[in-house]
Amino acid sequence: MARERMSGNERLQAAIRLEKPDRVPVVPALFPEPAAHLTGLSMAQVANDNQVALDAMWTVFDRYGGWDCGYPGAYIPIQMQAANLYPMKMRIPGKDLPDDHMFQLVEEEVLRPEDYDRICDMGFDNFYYQDYLWRITDLTPDDLNKEIAGLQTSFEKYLVECTKRDIQPFFLGYAIHPFFTLSLMRSMVPFTRDLYFNPEPVERALKCMTAELIQKQLAIVKASGISRCLLTEERASAFFYPTSVFERFWWPYTQEIVDAFWSEGIVTIFHLDQCWDKNLPYFKNLPKGSAVLELDGLTDIFRAKEILRGHLCFHGDVPAALLSIGKPEEVESYCKKLIDKVGDDGGFILGVGCATPPNVKPENFEAMIETGKNYEFSQK
Amino acid sequence: MSEEIAMAVVELEEQKVMNAVRRKLERKEDPIQILEACRRGMNIVGERFQTGEYSLAELMLSADIFKRAIAILEPNLAKARPLEPLGKIVLATPKGDIHDLGKNIVATLLRAHGFEVYDLGVDVHPALIVDKVKETKPQFVGFSALITSAFDSMKEVADMLVTDGLRNRFKLMVGGGVTTPAVKDYIGADFQTCDAMDGVAYCTKVIGGQSNG
Repeated sequence: MARERMSGNERLQAAIRLEKPDRVPVVPALFPEPAAHLTGLSMAQVANDNQVALDAMWTVFDRYGGWDCGYPGAYIPIQMQAANLYPMKMRIPGKDLPDDHMFQLVEEEVLRPEDYDRICDMGFDNFYYQDYLWRITDLTPDDLNKEIAGLQTSFEKYLVECTKRDIQPFFLGYAIHPFFTLSLMRSMVPFTRDLYFNPEPVERALKCMTAELIQKQLAIVKASGISRCLLTEERASAFFYPTSVFERFWWPYTQEIVDAFWSEGIVTIFHLDQCWDKNLPYFKNLPKGSAVLELDGLTDIFRAKEILRGHLCFHGDVPAALLSIGKPEEVESYCKKLIDKVGDDGGFILGVGCATPPNVKPENFEAMIETGKNYEFSQK
Repeated sequence: MSEEIAMAVVELEEQKVMNAVRRKLERKEDPIQILEACRRGMNIVGERFQTGEYSLAELMLSADIFKRAIAILEPNLAKARPLEPLGKIVLATPKGDIHDLGKNIVATLLRAHGFEVYDLGVDVHPALIVDKVKETKPQFVGFSALITSAFDSMKEVADMLVTDGLRNRFKLMVGGGVTTPAVKDYIGADFQTCDAMDGVAYCTKVIGGQSNG
């Protein structure tokens, strides 16, 4: 049986460059919630203590023999709201929910139509911290500083643990796409009404937010030394909107972001939930190798590969439902299919569709990691 | 005129729908006929969605317009003769999940297609769902989920309904982005979808089959 001849980081870089590594890189998005489940902790314990959350994630990493790259998740939920990454009201276990519930975001119309222009006038971060945040949070200004400092410390500790294990984080720059941000803040139906019946203010806000996102993330990514940036979008695909909306409100801003990143050598990692089948051809317009598409099992990744073969790398897409209620042999079989069909010429990173579910079966998680690490070697 | 309302719903012309509904009410026209016109519009939207001509956005917006029209009609409908629903459905996002976007869309679409919907909301305790099924005797029970941890809650309710001898009296449906055919089997449901209109089509088909049989 063949053996590993690349480090996790070399393997990852090769896949992103669309080359064939010694074996498929394995990068599961493991956050504190499934880590709590796999280590016997409650959701409340990891939702309210950074150190507990970090320890749980690294315990899982070590217990399953590790993998190629860390998917940063060194947070407790309230810090994501404080850091302008979850712009919604939250329900947190141990506070608003029973201890065994996962934290959740509340879909509610908070942003008002007149706020689109205020975003342009004030800048998005200023609007968020001077106004919007105080509509959604229970934090006080003192709490806010404490939580942001807590998040920074937690990430520093996360990086120390990465170094100990000789792996890199998958990314350190992380942004929500402006379109998705506005949909979350305004909530989906009112936002859709704005897109159809009052589109100009939305466009003005998207334009300002895109410029600000690029400037902010370029600085963060350059300082981090990890030339990759995560960009999350869960509500812009053809599942939700016709291509006329996609072409007007999503694609131009997306292309602007990717082009700005790529001109500085930064790869955009798209976290794309829901079905993007009809949107995939647009991604051919991005520079070759400039992005990774993370799919969640609802887009046909096999068809996506045929459309974008040799152009962009894929990450995914073992479905969350399969990991939570399937059997290990089903997980193994699906991973092998992914490696054979999507990873056949490289350009593929094995991971979970969206994120490891909070009720993942340990034997299924193990089957995914082990298949990724051993399947190709067992054939040589 | 009622065709005008139906087509305005289809073309997402909200103001036109609202004005026409108000005008007809002022003229003392039958509110049930007005409701039927709105429903005809929603049926066409549903057909366009199923052929791919419309996306979820158009489905959501037409459902939103329908809801606003019903809000105007409601006081008059209450005074009119009671409408016989096409069927009854109990909907819930079970315990552990607080998401309701998809469920709310399905609820509005089902109402627009003539079903009586008992929407129990989110994070619903299993016993409440069982009680509502006993009370309303629906032809359908629908669970919505956005996170995988809701699977076990859904199974818990389904098992309770089996234990209480109620399970064979209705069709059990599951929906939501994380559900798959395997989730349907795990819970012991009859139908699964990630597509709101598919759920409505399933209910309509089952009811059609029952009335034909």
